[in-house]
Amino acid sequence: MKIKKIQNLHWKIPAGLMVLLMIFLQLVPFYITLAVAFKPKTDLSSRWMIPTSIYFDNFLTAISRGRILTAMLNSLLVTSVAILLICLLGAFAGYPLARIKSRFNKIVLMTILGVMMIPPLSVLVPLYSMMNKINGVNTYWGIILIVTTGQLPLSVFLYSSFISSIPVELEEAALLDGCNYIQIFNRIILPLLKPVTASVIILTGIFVWNEYQLSLYILSSPAKRTIAPAIGAFFSQSSSNLGAAAAAALLGVLPLVVLYLFLQKYFIKGMIDSALK
Amino acid sequence: MEQRKGWLSQLFFKKEATNILYVPALILFAVFTFYPLIYGLKISFTNWNGYSQNYGYVGFLNYIELFKDKYFLNAIKNTLIFGFGCTIFQQIIGLAVAITLDHKFFGRNFSRIVIYLPVLVSPVIMGIIYYLFLHYNYGALNDIVVLLGYERIAWLSKENWALIAIVIVNTLQFCGISMIIYLAGLQNIPDMYYEAAKIDGATDFQAFKYITIPFLYPAVITSVTINLIGGLKLFDVIKVLTNGGPGYSTNSISTLIDITYFNAQNAGYASSMGVFLFAMILIVTITLHKVLKKGEVEV
Amino acid sequence: MKKSLLLVLVALIAVLMTASCSSSGEKKIEFMTGTGVDTPLFALYETLAKEFEAKNKNVKIELIPSSTNHEGEVKTRLASGDAPDIWMTHGWSKGRYAEYLVDLSKEKWAKDLQNGLKPVMLGKNGELYAFPIDLDIAGIIYSQTALDAAGVSIDSINTWDDFIAACEKLKAAGKTPLAVAGKDRWPTGLFIDWIAPGVMITQNSKEADLMSGKFPVAEWKQTLDVVAKFRDKGIMNKDYSSATNNDIAMGLAKGDVGFTMCMNFVAMQAFELKPDAKIGYMQVPVMSANDKPYYVIGEKNALGIWKDSKSLKEAKAFISFLAQKDNLTKLATSVGSPAGLSTVNVDLKQLTASFERSTKFAGQPYFDRVFMPNGAWDAIVATTEGVVLKQMSIDEAVAKMKSEYEKLYNQQK
Repeated sequence: MKIKKIQNLHWKIPAGLMVLLMIFLQLVPFYITLAVAFKPKTDLSSRWMIPTSIYFDNFLTAISRGRILTAMLNSLLVTSVAILLICLLGAFAGYPLARIKSRFNKIVLMTILGVMMIPPLSVLVPLYSMMNKINGVNTYWGIILIVTTGQLPLSVFLYSSFISSIPVELEEAALLDGCNYIQIFNRIILPLLKPVTASVIILTGIFVWNEYQLSLYILSSPAKRTIAPAIGAFFSQSSSNLGAAAAAALLGVLPLVVLYLFLQKYFIKGMIDSALK
Repeated sequence: MEQRKGWLSQLFFKKEATNILYVPALILFAVFTFYPLIYGLKISFTNWNGYSQNYGYVGFLNYIELFKDKYFLNAIKNTLIFGFGCTIFQQIIGLAVAITLDHKFFGRNFSRIVIYLPVLVSPVIMGIIYYLFLHYNYGALNDIVVLLGYERIAWLSKENWALIAIVIVNTLQFCGISMIIYLAGLQNIPDMYYEAAKIDGATDFQAFKYITIPFLYPAVITSVTINLIGGLKLFDVIKVLTNGGPGYSTNSISTLIDITYFNAQNAGYASSMGVFLFAMILIVTITLHKVLKKGEVEV
Repeated sequence: MKKSLLLVLVALIAVLMTASCSSSGEKKIEFMTGTGVDTPLFALYETLAKEFEAKNKNVKIELIPSSTNHEGEVKTRLASGDAPDIWMTHGWSKGRYAEYLVDLSKEKWAKDLQNGLKPVMLGKNGELYAFPIDLDIAGIIYSQTALDAAGVSIDSINTWDDFIAACEKLKAAGKTPLAVAGKDRWPTGLFIDWIAPGVMITQNSKEADLMSGKFPVAEWKQTLDVVAKFRDKGIMNKDYSSATNNDIAMGLAKGDVGFTMCMNFVAMQAFELKPDAKIGYMQVPVMSANDKPYYVIGEKNALGIWKDSKSLKEAKAFISFLAQKDNLTKLATSVGSPAGLSTVNVDLKQLTASFERSTKFAGQPYFDRVFMPNGAWDAIVATTEGVVLKQMSIDEAVAKMKSEYEKLYNQQK
């Protein structure tokens, strides 16, 4: 029996109302998106009005003109490779930073945290020039390395916090058994990282999937475009197609929703197990 | 990595040798972040227009200009409002919802999913949807206002309303992250502590203050760090919700950099803003981190 | 588990490698269209590019739709020395991009350039830096439905005082008299492009001063005074700073908005929302009854070729292909403007009457593109916006504008 349970009724009612209000607030934008996506451009009725007939043209426009399906494949490719790199390099870097608390390492950790704060726009032009020189513009590897670098700090931060919480005794015992630190990392630390990895994947994966500012420039070719710039292409300075953009946005968020529903249990469990220390 | 007894293997009996593991990450940062950043630093001493091949050096002129520029000073203020405003609201909402959803009740899972859902949506899209929601003539909110018999309100045309709108939109979108982090933290608190507290006759509030909060400390650090950085870097939402308007009054440093760089063709000046922003966020976060870490030790 | 992960990784890398290969001997033309992905113009570019590729087997054309920041995308590319082969010059082929573009004046189609575009697009020695698909003739866009409701006739509006009087009638009839897309920012600057010619050119002839670095303080003040009148009479849209051109198109379509000062794409957007909307564009009023109203003329969808393009010959051939009579007819029709070359006549559909009316008036170029130094646009927008929002007094705005003008003028020399 959980004692934590709120026993007094006078807590229950406001708490319940608050959750209901939050659910309502969070569903409103989705309702509006659905309403916009299923209405033709010429339907000028209120955003609250339910579409009067089933209208799929916006979705067809999103797919045929906006090439949303290609964009989703591109995003899938970029996101999966980037996540793999983010997790691997993050776990690697997290280990020494958690275990060796030298002055230098503290500076390294702070610097990495600092990198997390650089607004993408302030590095755009030099970054683009450099990518152009090394033929990285309009390539998957170019954007993958860029978004990986962008999300790596968060990953390092989470991994090093988590590793700090693992007792050192295990490693000391292994050291006595004749393992070197690489073997310790491989055999003892890595297997323990599953839960925090789940958190890293979900937290950084979403940002990578939705990355807009840099992808817009690095992947200008429509064949290589990822999902966010593909949706953005429905807005230009002298025109915009809200319906098609809404339809594209719904299609674009669908894989994430499915994945989230599917992984939700592991995700929260991962968060709990990782204890976020 | 089998038991090879070569010099390499010997080397890794030294703990310090594992430092090599963060080298790949540092290389990535060096190439894709520090190099462009240093280039930006160089540009900040020029009068470059952002696309031409020629420019001249102007020394510290751009930096001196920064502190005389009322748009820039206002953008600093806004950046701090977005950073701290969003962080504070996200912690309050995230924690309150997490505590409620920590209890078993009908629809708990559904609630968790729905409240987290907006996190999955790209901020650009979220901004556009809320723009439709807050729109003056055709917005969903004003439809209700009119229905209730009031005059339409130009939500995004008044500086204060617009600032609040940006904070609320970003808070609502990302409070799911705080909720999940706190939910995880809460589930890690052993029930026995609450039981003990109850036996000692502690009130709900006392239990919250002396058990929940200290145990959640690590979660607070993570959640605050993620949210604060998100808030200070805020860009997409501002761009689509107000575009910095009315006038320049809701620009953050990021959006002001965008305007200065591309529209005003003053890349040198924009770069000096970028350097300033980086320094500012770094100082704010490191200070906050130190304060929070201190709190942890005291617990 | 680990093995399957590894397999996935290998497969992904394989995809990456194959995807980044391209066949050799192929000439690529990268074309930044500056238009949204689902516009009729973009669709037409696609069709024509395919036709061109079919005729020229070694050429591959890559069309790039634009985001809301076409200008930023072009500038980033220019800054990196990696400009696209062709890009839409959004009114700046001569004023800003000339040093990066190829002179096209020797091309066959160049001799047919519309007369109206000559003063705007041709350089000192007759250089032409872009191929104009259409001619941008703009005035004040109006909704006939709204004007009818207020009993206003466009023929009676010759001065700004007439215009304000008409707006007050519209206001009394419950309409939004003058809507401007403040959120998009740049439309606010059009106040200057629309009003300034009447103050500084037709009335006070300040062209020589402007070109020689003398900022006309009194005239600029007079121009902003008109804007301030719009503000003080309460005839502007209440949601000025959060409105976009899209919203104004909607207002025009519904007949809620009386006037707006913008290019005709706003009217075209309104027709998309309501195909039978009664919308037109009228002459721009002037300061005094002795003067004559005018229209504003400029380049809109004009395409320039990068001077360092690796596919220069092919890009020129593609442009010539677009300039062919039937292709240009289709292109200009899709944007609803008269064509940029005099050889082509376009059916302007709902805007035909307005266009015919415009031929009876004089044309003025976009004021800032001709008389202001490159880079002044943002200051124009910012100061005018400051006046509209009362965040700046007129004197402050003029002073700021003067210092920007002088700074940029000296840089340009």
